Amino acid sequence: MSLDPDLYESMRLELRRGSLVLAVLACLRTERYGYTLRQALAADGLEMEESTLYPLLRRLESQGLLNSEWREEEKRKKRFYVLSPGGVSMLAALTDEWRGINASLDKLL
Amino acid sequence: MDMIDRYLNAVAAQLPQDERADIVAELRDLILSRFEAKEEELGRALNEDEQEAILREIGHPLVVAARYRKGPDSLVGPELFPYWLFGVKAGLMVLGAVHAILLLLRLVGGPADAGQAIAQAFHSFFGSGLTLIGAATLAAAIFEHQGIRPSFLRNWRVKDLGAFGLSDPAAWGASMAGTKAANATWMPQRKAKAWPGGEYLFSFLAAGIFVLWWVGVLHFPPFSAIELRGQDAVVTAAPIWSTLFAPILVYALIQMSVDLNSVFRPHAVRLRALARIPIALVGLWLTWRISEAGHWFTLTRGEETARIAGDWSLLDLNILQALGDGGRDLAGVASTLSVVMVWALAISALSLICSIILNLWRLARG
Repeated sequence: MSLDPDLYESMRLELRRGSLVLAVLACLRTERYGYTLRQALAADGLEMEESTLYPLLRRLESQGLLNSEWREEEKRKKRFYVLSPGGVSMLAALTDEWRGINASLDKLL
Repeated sequence: MDMIDRYLNAVAAQLPQDERADIVAELRDLILSRFEAKEEELGRALNEDEQEAILREIGHPLVVAARYRKGPDSLVGPELFPYWLFGVKAGLMVLGAVHAILLLLRLVGGPADAGQAIAQAFHSFFGSGLTLIGAATLAAAIFEHQGIRPSFLRNWRVKDLGAFGLSDPAAWGASMAGTKAANATWMPQRKAKAWPGGEYLFSFLAAGIFVLWWVGVLHFPPFSAIELRGQDAVVTAAPIWSTLFAPILVYALIQMSVDLNSVFRPHAVRLRALARIPIALVGLWLTWRISEAGHWFTLTRGEETARIAGDWSLLDLNILQALGDGGRDLAGVASTLSVVMVWALAISALSLICSIILNLWRLARG
């Protein structure tokens, strides 16, 4: 039976959605601004729309998981993000959870 | 004002005041970074079309701004949706039933305004239905926005669930849809499963008996004579039945062929619905022709004759209530049978219209 491309795309996005927060937190162990963060994620195979990434960064910051500051670089002010101490703990906890899920799925798949 | 400013102004207008400047500054940096990266790739400055293409990739200002919104991003969230759906479906069912009853009463009370009454009923139903949906959505949106969760969402008791079973609109819908999947999901499961083609076989045999009687193979004496005060009155068919002899025969034969097909393919719901719509339309046409004839039978007893005839003006509740008061003479009996005939035609027309609507709905549902 052929694969329904629309259904596949919908399920693929659903599968990815939960993992994107983990990817962003992991990427922000190093300080980055939005554009370079998106490039870093894309380089590792995790394309993310700007309209999703930027609001997510603000949400994570408002939840106390990221710190940010405006700084001038390349003659322009940019907002740099990095994990806060709370974000480091959250990343560690979520990483454990992810590995647990991954191990369980590996047994099933 | 350049293109970036126009774009950012459109986004900013949708953002909360306290965060506007911060979000716009960040978006401006994003856009400039994208422009620079593309210019580096092409080795030249971007023209307006190329800049606009990048802005389109970033997203429509309404969509971009909406992503920054705090709070719920839907009017009815997933937690409230089942309650909203149940309320809307049950409300529409009740509204539909109330409107149908009111329409019926109005048609009976003043059949001359039938067209106007039907139009007003539909108009009123759609108006009140849309109001109901709007009110339910508004209530759900307020609950979502304020984070209100009524206690019945969490503290429900099993003993209070009876009303949901009684007023299960999904079961009514499944019953009307008649689809296998819907029935399997919603309808109570019978222990002993009846043969699904049984009802069609019965309908086929009934139509077959009618056809045999219609062409004169079978004879039913009671239909050709009635007893009045110890004397037989002869019933003679009016000319309309000779005129419509062939169409009625073809109508019955087509009905039989659909029933026969359904006996062997009881689950072909769509095919059956597709066939029944034109059949019901033909049935409506026949009903209309018969009613328009205005004369259906003649009663004869000796030298005396009386016509079973009439028009839609007999479709009156007062006349129906006085049905038993008619005389027992030939004219009185003919008058009573005329009223019965008009009501039978009206009920037949109504059931055919319902059949068309129901089968259209089955076709749409699949």
